[in-house]
Amino acid sequence: MNPVKLSLLNHRFEGVAQSMANTLLRTGRSGVLNIARDFSCCITTAEGDLLVANEGLPIHVLSGPDIMARHMVELSTGLKRGDAYLNNSPYHGCSHAADHTILVPVMDDEGRHRFTVLAKAHQADIGNSIPTTYHGSAVDVYEEGALIFPSVKVQENYETNEDFVRMCRMRIRVPDQWWGDFLAALGSARIGEQEITAMANEVGWDTLTEFASEWFDYSERRMIDAVSSLPAGKARRSSTHDHFPGTPEDGILVNVDVEIDPDDARIRVDLTDNMDCLPCGLNLSEACSRTAAMVGIFNSIDHTVPKNAGSFRRLDIRLRENCVVGIPRHPTSTSVATTNVADRVANPVQCAIADIAEGSGMAECGAVIPPAVGVISGISPRDGKPFINQVFLGMTGGAGAPTTDAWVTVGHVGNAGFCSLDSVELDEQRQPLWVRSRKLVPDSEGAGKFKGAPSIAVEFGPVGCDLSVGYVSDGMHNPAKGVREGHQAMGSNQFRLLPDGGREQLEGCAQVTLNDGELILSISCGGGGYGPPQEREPEAVARDVAEGWITPERAEQIYKVRLDANGRPDMEATSRLRSDFAA
Amino acid sequence: MRFAVDTGGTFTDLVVENDDGSCSMFKARTTPEDPVAGVLDALGVAAEAFGMPREDLLSRGGILIHGTTHAINAIITGRTAKTAFITTEGHGDMLVLREGGRADTFNFTQKFPEPYVPRRLTFEVPERIYADGSVIKPLDTDSVLNIIEALKEKQVEAVGVCLLWSIANSDHEEQVAALLEEHLPDVPYTLSHRLNPAIREFRRASSVVVDASLKPMMGRYMRSLEGRLRDAGFNGRTLVLTSQAGVIDAADAAEAPIHIVNSGPSMAPVAGRFFAGQDSGISDAIIADTGGTTYDVSIVRNGRIPTSRETWIGPRYRGIMIGLPWIDVRSVGAGGGSIAWIDSGGLLHVGPQSAGSDPGPVAYGKGGTQPTVTDASLMLGHIDPDFFLGGSMSLDLDAAENAIRTVVAEPLGLDVASASDAIITIATESMVQAINDITVNQGIDPQEVVLVGGGGAAGLNSVRIARRLGCRQLVIPEVGAALSAAGALMSDLKAEYYGAFFATTADFNHEGSQKVLDGLGERCREFAEGPGANSFGSRTEFRVSARYATQVWDIEVPLRGNSLATQADVDGFIEDFHAAHKALFSFSDPASPIEIIGWTAQVSCSFSETPALRLASNEESGEPRSRKTYFGDTGWIESKVFPFGSIEPGVEIKGPAIIENSFTTIVVDPGAIARRKPTGTLVIDV
Repeated sequence: MNPVKLSLLNHRFEGVAQSMANTLLRTGRSGVLNIARDFSCCITTAEGDLLVANEGLPIHVLSGPDIMARHMVELSTGLKRGDAYLNNSPYHGCSHAADHTILVPVMDDEGRHRFTVLAKAHQADIGNSIPTTYHGSAVDVYEEGALIFPSVKVQENYETNEDFVRMCRMRIRVPDQWWGDFLAALGSARIGEQEITAMANEVGWDTLTEFASEWFDYSERRMIDAVSSLPAGKARRSSTHDHFPGTPEDGILVNVDVEIDPDDARIRVDLTDNMDCLPCGLNLSEACSRTAAMVGIFNSIDHTVPKNAGSFRRLDIRLRENCVVGIPRHPTSTSVATTNVADRVANPVQCAIADIAEGSGMAECGAVIPPAVGVISGISPRDGKPFINQVFLGMTGGAGAPTTDAWVTVGHVGNAGFCSLDSVELDEQRQPLWVRSRKLVPDSEGAGKFKGAPSIAVEFGPVGCDLSVGYVSDGMHNPAKGVREGHQAMGSNQFRLLPDGGREQLEGCAQVTLNDGELILSISCGGGGYGPPQEREPEAVARDVAEGWITPERAEQIYKVRLDANGRPDMEATSRLRSDFAA
Repeated sequence: MRFAVDTGGTFTDLVVENDDGSCSMFKARTTPEDPVAGVLDALGVAAEAFGMPREDLLSRGGILIHGTTHAINAIITGRTAKTAFITTEGHGDMLVLREGGRADTFNFTQKFPEPYVPRRLTFEVPERIYADGSVIKPLDTDSVLNIIEALKEKQVEAVGVCLLWSIANSDHEEQVAALLEEHLPDVPYTLSHRLNPAIREFRRASSVVVDASLKPMMGRYMRSLEGRLRDAGFNGRTLVLTSQAGVIDAADAAEAPIHIVNSGPSMAPVAGRFFAGQDSGISDAIIADTGGTTYDVSIVRNGRIPTSRETWIGPRYRGIMIGLPWIDVRSVGAGGGSIAWIDSGGLLHVGPQSAGSDPGPVAYGKGGTQPTVTDASLMLGHIDPDFFLGGSMSLDLDAAENAIRTVVAEPLGLDVASASDAIITIATESMVQAINDITVNQGIDPQEVVLVGGGGAAGLNSVRIARRLGCRQLVIPEVGAALSAAGALMSDLKAEYYGAFFATTADFNHEGSQKVLDGLGERCREFAEGPGANSFGSRTEFRVSARYATQVWDIEVPLRGNSLATQADVDGFIEDFHAAHKALFSFSDPASPIEIIGWTAQVSCSFSETPALRLASNEESGEPRSRKTYFGDTGWIESKVFPFGSIEPGVEIKGPAIIENSFTTIVVDPGAIARRKPTGTLVIDV
């Protein structure tokens, strides 16, 4: 195919994914969709190879859509134009049960299956046994309680199956919100179908198929180029998820073995030397195991390499069955698969790459999900009706990078900062709660030549009622680590603040009920630093002090920078401090 | 006589509208250190052309409309006043945290943005108001006095105040204001509930600090402009363009300078709406304004120009949030200066890097070595090298050809003409995607609308863009090269007033709602009778920001009858909301209650009865020439070249053809048919 056509059709396909995403974002109802942007849209080939995705949450798309698209073909008795399938099964390629995914086969006029479009959206509620979509302590999928749809046909001839709708309405706590989000995802997939069909009418189906094949080859060439420029090496890294109900006493230790092979232009990640699946909701689905490793890799290399089945050809990711970071067997619960343990895979992968290749990789991002990003519920005193919603009041977690300080509001590594932060006023208008404070914490950053994000402390509580807060906050005992001599960040924490001024320590994974007059203090995990802090530019350290990010004491003790009375770096004293430290 | 003066980065453009409606265009160099000098220079150029002293010309003017990038440049370069931010205790990181969000997933080379006001100039006041306006914690005035002492010590030049829920109860902000006036009388300040009474504290906070930071310099600028125009003989009224496609008095612009920061791009849709209606009779249009480095897209829907509250200076998430609505304009880095390059995988890209105007395209011979879109148009014969910018610049064709050959043609295995065509094709696609982005979000089907091309480079690929989008027609106005200046002369004197009362259709508060509307209506009346006196007439429109109860984001819906006093009014609004929602998002939810969270009243006063602008002199004439041109479908082919001014109305010009004047070149691709309307506009059936 001529290279101009290749470029042109790529623009067009990217435009389709973008149209799908715009539609979903603008029509979705729940906050998790249009505030957290916890959704994704992508296109695979008929064979299930990922062709293009919208720019969105990294943990959502790199792997998973491919597996779901293949299951749709295998499990169906014959695909037809007008069909739509729902898949949220972690045993069939979905990330976790909360991510309802609509798949639409794009058929040509002869009834041949050409592409599959997918719209995946995290739901406000999925009928779990407790009012949260992150059930960290569920011993299995039965206790988790969600309705599981392993590639179930929900539309035929563009008509929705009302039996299925009734089932969902009887089980999902906020049926109208779910229905709205269902329509949004379906609308998004149909837009994708329409636009691809229109494109095919213009250039022909075979041209589109030929494009896909050539685009994969191009993407593979870009990947070869990127990997070949890295030094060869192997590194083993580990990262530990805090102890939660259902995990071993020491938490979940995750080992990653990473090998960069520039001669063969391959990156290998082995996740098999890890514990078996656990009786809790923290296990990863296959989609999340694979994707998390890939997130660590793509965070570490030339960011302009296209992410699709072509560039993925240069990756070997080894998983094993019944492994906590591998391929779960039914009825293992993977309720929390997109965040906690997934981050414990992506983070050490990017650290390992930094270990091998200076100037590449990243430090660890902070762990989640703190109470300020938890699911809140209760009975509103305003109208006597129950409410349930995930709030996004504060998480930070950005990691130091080879040439830049952290992006403060990254959230966690699998989110990459896509989540919006709630307006305090909007939250207070919509729910009977108030936010007393929301502040970044001084001296909490992972120190480094390029520093990690500080923690954020949020105090909030109910107004005129009780408020239940469900959260799964990792990173209290195992904060984000630094790389290449960068330091670790301050960990997460959470307390109940009592009306008399006292405070009470809370567990990292809990469903807490606050009484009227009480507050919860949620502290997010900061991000690790990249490079030695004593190599940070003294001017940058002086700015950090002036802006209150760090204290003068920390500047001197950790960054080895002394400031004069005007807050300028005392260069002489600083170089003495730094050379003494080196000696 | 009316003057429209637009101070741009390089040139200060002047359009003089004579009393008979004809107009003339002039240019002078912009003088960045003292932009008012450039304004006076441009008026001098015009006076010379009219053969009269500048004083005489100025004395004939009733109105001077000024567009300036002075404010936005100050923001971009950080040359605004030293500004402090005062907010509620516990929430001092509002400007640091913003609303979260990030683009470019895997790119960790971009810095996290600095807050508009540094933390060391941010002060928290012990106080707290709740959502219902009740006071959780009274304002601690002693703390405010201490803060004021700190402001003095730090020699702060402006203050922005945004307290939580000041939109529900403004007492605390007003108390802070009273203390500032008493103890810091010479420092300008801005209060959030007065400037931008809208829910979402970060947006309000960002509005006030940007506004306050501009007050000292824009106050000086507006006084200097008015004073020096008066000294030069102008006795009329000086108006300034706003980001909402209106004009306000210069003195009002000094009071709330945030309203003028994005005035530049807001004018093209005003002109575009007019020409689309006049020349094609279609009330939905896409307006594309092509400059040297950016391609600005805006739309008109049902004759209205939609606004957006997602307003950023600079990139989304990393730029500066304005927080006040402005005309919804999307920019992409695609223009004549966009650079073509090949990546390591062998793929052709155009932009986002731009050679700008300096060094500019390779053909300018000013040191550019990377081939640009303009270089490609030259190679294809679409631009006449001897007639570029009216022949005012000689071009180095060999250098351009060489750059395209080595950088693009040889690596792709193409000849220079095919490579140049490829460059235009890729650039066109970027522009099409930018248009798709805005049309999807605004619920517009490009196949139902007309495309209006403006800006000097619009004509080069507008036929291709219209074809790709499936637009019905392409409209290129005679004054298209100065679409913004034309829009300025069509703009109304405008003011918007906002309210932040919460109402839901589940239990509608008629009395409270009507009180808000009456209050806003009263302010509109005051404006119409004050600044708006002597206009041709005023018009007041009410809109509400509303959402379904389960949604987070709101949409704007005009209130029919401008009232919600009766249940019939509310029923009418409900119907309109569902329809607007369906048009934008392709679904409605009739069972859901609707919540109103924001109220807007806009008053417009018109100063011109006949906005139809014609160029006073159509100097170009003569016989069509011809030259060799290249098109992807035909290869090299002889095209007729027509001077724009020579085309008689009704004559059909079949592509391939080129239509040009000293401001612009319009490429009529093979298969397209161009006609000139009696209004002077070129209408092309693509």
